[in-house]
Amino acid sequence: MTTISRAAAVSAVAALLHITPTVVLVDRPDAVAQLLPGADKFFAREVHLADADAHKLHEAVDWSPVDGVLTFYSGRRGTTLIGLLEFVRVDTPHGPVEVSVSFDTLGTIRGVIVTKATVETKPWVLEALRAGLCSHYRGLTPTATPAATAASAALRGSVGELPLYMAQEVDKGVARALAAYRLFAQRR
Amino acid sequence: MLYDLSRADARVKWLVTCLLLTFALAYGFGGWMVALYAGFGPKQVAATYAPSQMSMAMPPESTVVVEHPMTMSQFAEAAPHQVDTALLVQDTHVHVPMYGVIAACLSVVVLGLRMSRRAALGTISLLFAAPWLDFLGMWLTKFLAPGFAWLTIVGGWAMAAGLVIVTVMALWQMWLMKERTVS
Repeated sequence: MTTISRAAAVSAVAALLHITPTVVLVDRPDAVAQLLPGADKFFAREVHLADADAHKLHEAVDWSPVDGVLTFYSGRRGTTLIGLLEFVRVDTPHGPVEVSVSFDTLGTIRGVIVTKATVETKPWVLEALRAGLCSHYRGLTPTATPAATAASAALRGSVGELPLYMAQEVDKGVARALAAYRLFAQRR
Repeated sequence: MLYDLSRADARVKWLVTCLLLTFALAYGFGGWMVALYAGFGPKQVAATYAPSQMSMAMPPESTVVVEHPMTMSQFAEAAPHQVDTALLVQDTHVHVPMYGVIAACLSVVVLGLRMSRRAALGTISLLFAAPWLDFLGMWLTKFLAPGFAWLTIVGGWAMAAGLVIVTVMALWQMWLMKERTVS
């Protein structure tokens, strides 16, 4: 009986945390290597937003970063800047999705990779990715409007409703990355 | 006792048994998930719910930029799973009603157990108070102090205790306890 009780107790402690299980689609180092090709030095620039700046970002894309901190990762080869990278989390009712967005030195999007999804959303995200979602973001500039970033529109009719929904969430991540870049990437 | 599970029809006993085993199974997989994504100690719970050390207690008056070098291997370091306010709102919204339903189901089982009125009241209170403590701990950890992670752990163990008490008593009384003949 003791063993049964202990087993039940250990299993019931499951309830102590409530976690939406994430699934890594692409490891961050792999994403960094693809999005900042050739870079051999990396820097993290953390931008701790004051209220006014946080408000500005919120007005632009209806989003506040976790703990009010934006992090831009820059990659260099020697002293030459290769580009900047952001990991943006989008919370959906089905759990968070992480979108990695890189910019070249001119400030246009070099590439987008969805690095994390959840157990539930993974198949929907993969279907959207197979339909070519991320290729639509390439070349967008930070002045692009959120409507212009809506690559999901190109997928309508070629994927199911749920993959389309996840594509719209990825759109949000890209729009956030663009707004953050436009407003704060050059801030010193 | 509003009804007596030990004297219930075998079909009712089987229903209750299946229900309790299903809860135990679900909690078991929940435990596995916790092990995968967080942990069972106060430090890990605090790391999941408390604001990260990178954040400032209050937003700065003007935006502050801090830059530091990184190695590729630092990108690979597994960041602890963090639940921010938006996700905690969502988790609370999703889980609390379900915990209420689970506590209600277990309480209905308690009503059919042979135990004193006071013990039944205490067990029902435990079943409902445990998830309250659990979530209260998460919110206090996030907004007051990481030390409140203990409250979440206590809440989790209280849920464990509630399930164990009800399951063991119900299985015992339904299937193993010998009926005393009443003259």
